Amino acid sequence: MAAVRSVRDVMGMPITVDVRDKDAEERVLEEVFADLMLVDQIFSPFIPASETSRIDRGELQPDDAGPLMQQVLKLCRLYEIATDGYFSAWIAGRLDPSGLVKGWAIERASSILDGYGYRHYFVEAAGDIRTRHPVGTGGPWRIGIRHPVERNKVARVVLANDLAVATSGTYEKGAHVRDPHTGRQVREWLSFTVIGSEIVKADVYATAALAMGQRGVEFIEALPCFEAYAIDPQLRATWTSGFSALSDSGEGASG
Amino acid sequence: MKRAVTAFVATVVGLFWVLTFKVTPHQAAGVAAASPPPSASGGQPVSASPTPTSSTAPASTPSPTPVKKGADGTFTGTDVPTIYGDVQVRIVVSGGRLSDVKALQLPSDRARSAEISQYAGPALRSEAIQAQSANVDIVSGATYTSEAYAESLNGALQQAHLG
Repeated sequence: MAAVRSVRDVMGMPITVDVRDKDAEERVLEEVFADLMLVDQIFSPFIPASETSRIDRGELQPDDAGPLMQQVLKLCRLYEIATDGYFSAWIAGRLDPSGLVKGWAIERASSILDGYGYRHYFVEAAGDIRTRHPVGTGGPWRIGIRHPVERNKVARVVLANDLAVATSGTYEKGAHVRDPHTGRQVREWLSFTVIGSEIVKADVYATAALAMGQRGVEFIEALPCFEAYAIDPQLRATWTSGFSALSDSGEGASG
Repeated sequence: MKRAVTAFVATVVGLFWVLTFKVTPHQAAGVAAASPPPSASGGQPVSASPTPTSSTAPASTPSPTPVKKGADGTFTGTDVPTIYGDVQVRIVVSGGRLSDVKALQLPSDRARSAEISQYAGPALRSEAIQAQSANVDIVSGATYTSEAYAESLNGALQQAHLG
């Protein structure tokens, strides 16, 4: 089988592209990573010449930015409304669209692979994942939800067939996530995983729901086609009604 | 508030509000909530849709099965009738900790009931997570774990004899 897989550091994070189609070619992976690097050049707040940095310094007006930035800013505005402001690309007056760009870049990578007719792959960027279909009788992709303390272990396993899985956590940097409305540090969840049909939404909703605190799970519950699994500092998990159907029934509680 | 609850039984009455089993150090006796609080004390506000009426308490409130502190096993709460249907939960206590809560019965026979149970049902579900070494293709999670935080939490759990 000519499956191809590559893990590279792009956008300041490890990104995995794993394609299992028999006709998969390395050059397609090169195209995918080239696109990810292009995205990084435009959006990285750590690259002084990026459009994000130039907008942040006041050198570039958002309306004068390139088409990709326009697209991302428009999405940021839409999701800011959809999440009641719990997701925002503007933190304390400074532009940082990276909360949306990661999922958006994964979606672009997925579109490139789709364009080549590949059907059996996943793309992962720093813990956010877009899967297509598993191979043959191999069963669905098994995606572990990282245990927030024992980080080489998982708390649950999601069975993903053509799904997106995104996790936001406070444990990665300490409790640095804040409620944008109150400025209060979010301490309710160590990690918040959202599973759904679209990676951009899953990623943004995971970020927003984490910042919402206790009612974050209800927020996801009210969204059609999205499920959540959230872990609190007491190492207890709370999940939405459809989560169990997506998780490995051999482990933990099933419902 | 930082301690995991050691034993807990709950009976759902009325409008499926109830319990939060998260960190509330309930005493061993069950909670029979004829007038459920709008949000459980100190725990997760697992709120559902607005309650349509306040006159739904059943005529009698059966006593829930008590759980002795530290007693391991599976405990089934009382089957509680409501105007929307019966509600019954089961918990599993293992190692002196609440490890699972499952709604054995939730109303689902009417549209309104389905709406409520679909919403309130998952809010009744919570469990202590397990650390598994499962075979996976890839892992979802925030990448840069704070080891200091992890060690601190582990230490606290061990001090509480819960680690």
